[in-house]
Amino acid sequence: MALLEVSGASVQFGGLTAVSEVSFHAEPGEVRAIIGPNGAGKTTLFKAIAGEEQLSGGTIQFRDEPIHTLTPHEISARGVRRTFQNGGLFGELTALENILAGLHTRIPSSFGGLLVGTKSARDAEKAGTRRARELLELMGIPHVADQWARDLSGGQQRMVEIVRALATDPPLLLLDEPAVGLAPPVRSELLKIIRRLVEEENIAVILIEHAIEFVMTVCDTLMVLNNGELIAEGPPEEVRRNREVLEAYLGR
Amino acid sequence: MKPTRSLFWLLPLAALALPLFINPYHQYVINLILVYVLVGVGFNIVVGNLGQLAFSNVAFFGIGAYASAIFTTQLGIPWWLTIIPAGLAGALAGCAASIPALRGVRLFYLAIMTLAFGELMRWTYIRTPFLTGGSMGLTVPPAELFGWVLETETQKFYVFLVIVVVIVVAVGRILESRIGRAFLAIKNDERAAAAMAIPTGRYFLLAFALSGFVVGVGGAMYAALVGHLSPEAFDLVQLILHFAIIMVGGLGSLVGSIFGAILITATPELFRDWPGFEELMFGIVIVLVILFLPRGLASLLARLHPVFKDRYLRDD
Repeated sequence: MALLEVSGASVQFGGLTAVSEVSFHAEPGEVRAIIGPNGAGKTTLFKAIAGEEQLSGGTIQFRDEPIHTLTPHEISARGVRRTFQNGGLFGELTALENILAGLHTRIPSSFGGLLVGTKSARDAEKAGTRRARELLELMGIPHVADQWARDLSGGQQRMVEIVRALATDPPLLLLDEPAVGLAPPVRSELLKIIRRLVEEENIAVILIEHAIEFVMTVCDTLMVLNNGELIAEGPPEEVRRNREVLEAYLGR
Repeated sequence: MKPTRSLFWLLPLAALALPLFINPYHQYVINLILVYVLVGVGFNIVVGNLGQLAFSNVAFFGIGAYASAIFTTQLGIPWWLTIIPAGLAGALAGCAASIPALRGVRLFYLAIMTLAFGELMRWTYIRTPFLTGGSMGLTVPPAELFGWVLETETQKFYVFLVIVVVIVVAVGRILESRIGRAFLAIKNDERAAAAMAIPTGRYFLLAFALSGFVVGVGGAMYAALVGHLSPEAFDLVQLILHFAIIMVGGLGSLVGSIFGAILITATPELFRDWPGFEELMFGIVIVLVILFLPRGLASLLARLHPVFKDRYLRDD
């Protein structure tokens, strides 16, 4: 059994087929990168996995359970977490509160408990805050904890968003263009973090990326989408030599 | 940050002594302020925290007021026993008002649909005279608390103060918890909130219901305060008042709702002796605050002392 099993997934917008019968599976301890020209359907495929787009055909299974009929929050609650292409931080919350929002399902304080201020509700909130601080420390950014998310630099925002997505130890992480706009040192830091997560925590990562050197060093398996179709899949070096890919993507 | 919050208790404590120094009319105005504190706190949950342009607040207010008045006049239930039912009626109205939002209606479309809800309720009060007294209005017997009749403004004040403190503290706890964070997450980015496993629909419903409850209780207090309800009290002018309270106070700020209610309710009363001047001053105050304090009185107070700083308020 695969962690994530995508079989014949298609997404249509009116007459346009954005994703066309894509099949692949993701395993724990593996980084999978998706590349492809603009409009190839990469982000649409992500949205379909996350439940933000309906499939017009095919199935998506996570841990042997069909998830393509579930809502985004249900899929997220099952352990599929994602980051967003243009940053999905909550600007009016601090970095710490953003992580706490990521931990939402792990803070067992009830409405009634909070209303009357029971000890268990307060303890749940405190334990969540402690955990959020630990996570920021673990990622080496404890100093941003109490800053407003919208005031953070681009690199810090990306890191906080990744910490937030990882807060609940999800088995599958979807990263939509994690390296775009990052300075080279931050980028290599990010690369190290992703590799460490995959190797030490044994999670599966699927990422969309344009920066080809980043992709080549970070991933174990490279997937190429073109016009919604999966045209190549394999170890990055192999895919790089594929003629069809060279024509479609690299334009040579 | 937390321990200084206990300073807030000085506010109701100081208020306890207030009736010793003022005349009954001013006491009435202060009681009205307490009503509008709940109106502002409730409204701000949906607009400031959940971030939705939903203007159904006057419907919640009117439903709470009429529910309390109908329970006392038609069923003979003492006023104090109608407070929670009035809140629940408001919460139910909140659930109804959340339906368009739950179906994906947002921004201006949501604004007009929720406005229509408020106007529909006003029409309903006029068209159901057997319950509401129609356009003639409904006279409410003096409020009663455990068999003790609240005759003077001072008596009402103490009862109102307890209700307001209890509700403000409870709402504060909710807004500072994971629930409050879920509201703000939805306000900032609904899609990202759902990606954090936050069931957004459930929180829309919760925010509207909570808002409806708080404003509904404010309605029950309003019924006890004015003693006579008429449909035209729940018109668009009422809505402008509610909106002014949270805009002047500070969107998303609990402290702001309180101080917005004080300023907006007190301003016209201060100029009552100069006819025509009250509306003018009301307008001037709103324009000045919005112009110089775009984040409301709450941002001014936060600058004066950190104790007033809501965590959701940015320095600017």
